[in-house]
Amino acid sequence: MSLFGVCEADEHPGGFKRFRVFLFLAMIVISLTPLTIITGLSYSQYQELLWKEEHDQFRWNAEGAKKTIEAFIDELASVVKFVSREYTYEELLDQNKLDRLFDRLLEEYPGFMDIGVFDSQGIQRTYSGPYRLKGYDYSGQEWFDQVKERHLFISDVILGYRKLPHFVIAVSNKKEGSDEYWVLRTTINSDSLQNYISTISTKASQDIFLVNTSGVLQTRSNYFGDVLDRYPKFVPPHVGEIIINHDRKMGGEILHATTVSIEKTPWVLILIKDGYIHGKEWLSFRFRLGMIFLGSSLLGIIVIYQISSVLTRCLRDSSEKRQALLAEAEHTSKLASIGRLAAGVAHEINNPLAIVDQKAGLMMDLLELTGEFEYKDKFTASTKGIVAAVVRCKTITQRLLGFARKMDVKLEDLNLNDVLKDVLGFLEKEALYSHIRFELHFQKTLPSVYSDRGQLQQVFLNIINNAIDAIGRDGVITLTTRRLDEYTLQVLITDSGPGMPAEVLKHIFDPFFTTKEAGKGTGLGLSITYGLVKKLGGEITVSSEVGKGTTFAVNLPMQDPRGETNEK
Amino acid sequence: MKNDKIQVLVVDDEVEFASTLADRLELRGLAANTVNSGSDALVSVASSRPDVMLLDLKMPVMGGFEVLAEVKEKYGDAIEVIMLTGHGGAESGKIGIEHGAFDYIVKPFDFNELLEKIMLAFEKKKSGTSAS
Repeated sequence: MSLFGVCEADEHPGGFKRFRVFLFLAMIVISLTPLTIITGLSYSQYQELLWKEEHDQFRWNAEGAKKTIEAFIDELASVVKFVSREYTYEELLDQNKLDRLFDRLLEEYPGFMDIGVFDSQGIQRTYSGPYRLKGYDYSGQEWFDQVKERHLFISDVILGYRKLPHFVIAVSNKKEGSDEYWVLRTTINSDSLQNYISTISTKASQDIFLVNTSGVLQTRSNYFGDVLDRYPKFVPPHVGEIIINHDRKMGGEILHATTVSIEKTPWVLILIKDGYIHGKEWLSFRFRLGMIFLGSSLLGIIVIYQISSVLTRCLRDSSEKRQALLAEAEHTSKLASIGRLAAGVAHEINNPLAIVDQKAGLMMDLLELTGEFEYKDKFTASTKGIVAAVVRCKTITQRLLGFARKMDVKLEDLNLNDVLKDVLGFLEKEALYSHIRFELHFQKTLPSVYSDRGQLQQVFLNIINNAIDAIGRDGVITLTTRRLDEYTLQVLITDSGPGMPAEVLKHIFDPFFTTKEAGKGTGLGLSITYGLVKKLGGEITVSSEVGKGTTFAVNLPMQDPRGETNEK
Repeated sequence: MKNDKIQVLVVDDEVEFASTLADRLELRGLAANTVNSGSDALVSVASSRPDVMLLDLKMPVMGGFEVLAEVKEKYGDAIEVIMLTGHGGAESGKIGIEHGAFDYIVKPFDFNELLEKIMLAFEKKKSGTSAS
């Protein structure tokens, strides 16, 4: 039992079906498994690659953004610091001086909204700007304590009294010759911050904005709203390094959010980007991969299906042919045995036949020499009858022996008419029994043909046998011989059978082709006949019309295949 | 002892066949004897010379060809031999002729045909020239 009994498929019912299924599955597995694995690998590898690339870029963007924002803020803070160091506390208590300073500041940095000087108690002593805040007491405020401690304070963006979003930069310094601190405070319009953010936003992120640690938007966000709206996600108090989160928005899109604190400020920078799954690259890759995978798989399945079907069919055909060949060989061998048997019988019969022949002959001789006696006529007639019967026996055994002779090719001059008559002799009884009669149209002056008697007999026997089978009962088989042309003789065998359609005619000489039911013919008769005729140097053709009958035409060369003509 | 009658020796292992054949020849005015084996044939021929020998091909122990060879060697043209062949047919007959037989006839044969051949053989023997 090799591989699911492949080689014995013909011995089991449904064996070929199983073989085909096995072949199909095996090939499918072999070919689709690596395809699937590679597709899967490609997919995951590329996904990883894109993800990594994206993350790296995102991180780089965030770093860049953080640095530039910090630089921006630094610059503003430096300006304030510089001013606070360049001028003394006392100098800046001069309102005019402060005003002039503020104007110059505004020229360079239009974002500044106002500037104020605070004493160590938190009271605003001088103020330059659009609002009337001189004299206000800020001592309780947190920022004041912080700035005194840290010397630099940057605030959240707030609305305050002004209805305009702004933030504060304040610096503190020691008074000259004292330990007390004074504070210089500026407010900056958050528009300038916003504009700056806008300029650094790139195509690399869909949203970039600042929030404070309480989750209040410091600049406008595309996704979450305007300045001072709430940012719904959690913001950690201080994020020293860049953190990238994956968020899932409503609708299942993947967003990355990157968070990092801006040094020296209470702000956290957030960048938001759609995940690669929205990227054109990824989508087109997935589409192409999917198409290739589907296409290859489909093609593979179709081709493999065809191959396994065709292969199985070939195998089955082969197997059937083999069995038919075996059957034919068996048949032939049986025939050979029968032939030998018949020959043996004929031999055996010849001896007693010869005796009867001679005895009856003697009786005739004696009768002639004998005078009249009672019943002499009857006696003579009977004896003649015996002789006649013996003659019939002779013909039968002659034919039997002649046909059973070994088939060595023996070339001799033959009269086709005689050959045909011999063959008819064999089939006479059978034909008579089926009410089939023979009509002979033999050309009397038919020249002889140089060929092998045995093989010619076999050829005509096959054809006439087929004719008898075709007719069945009640019909006529017409045999015609004539000289076709200078070099060829023709034998026509026509039957009054049902005829054959063109479809069948096409295959009539094919080996194993038979229209008889199973077991009643191996389909080799006519193909052998075809081969024989060809070997004898002739041609065999068939024509037929459904309802009218069939005619086989055998053309034989008068010329010896070796090249000598046979003109007579 | 010899008269005008043609002397024929029938050599065949089928007893009935040989004797009936001889009877029929006798009825037609020939003198016919029978033997039923090759060795008997040689013994008979040694003592009484037939003109024509009808020699069956297939005989046990000593076959027709063997007898033919012996006879032709010893007696040459003095005895004309006609082979009686069965299944071997024409081929065997022709081989026989090559080895010195005058002619052959295939069993079962037409008696008159055989008679003709016997006559021709006798003619040949009498004239001493080869048949044409």
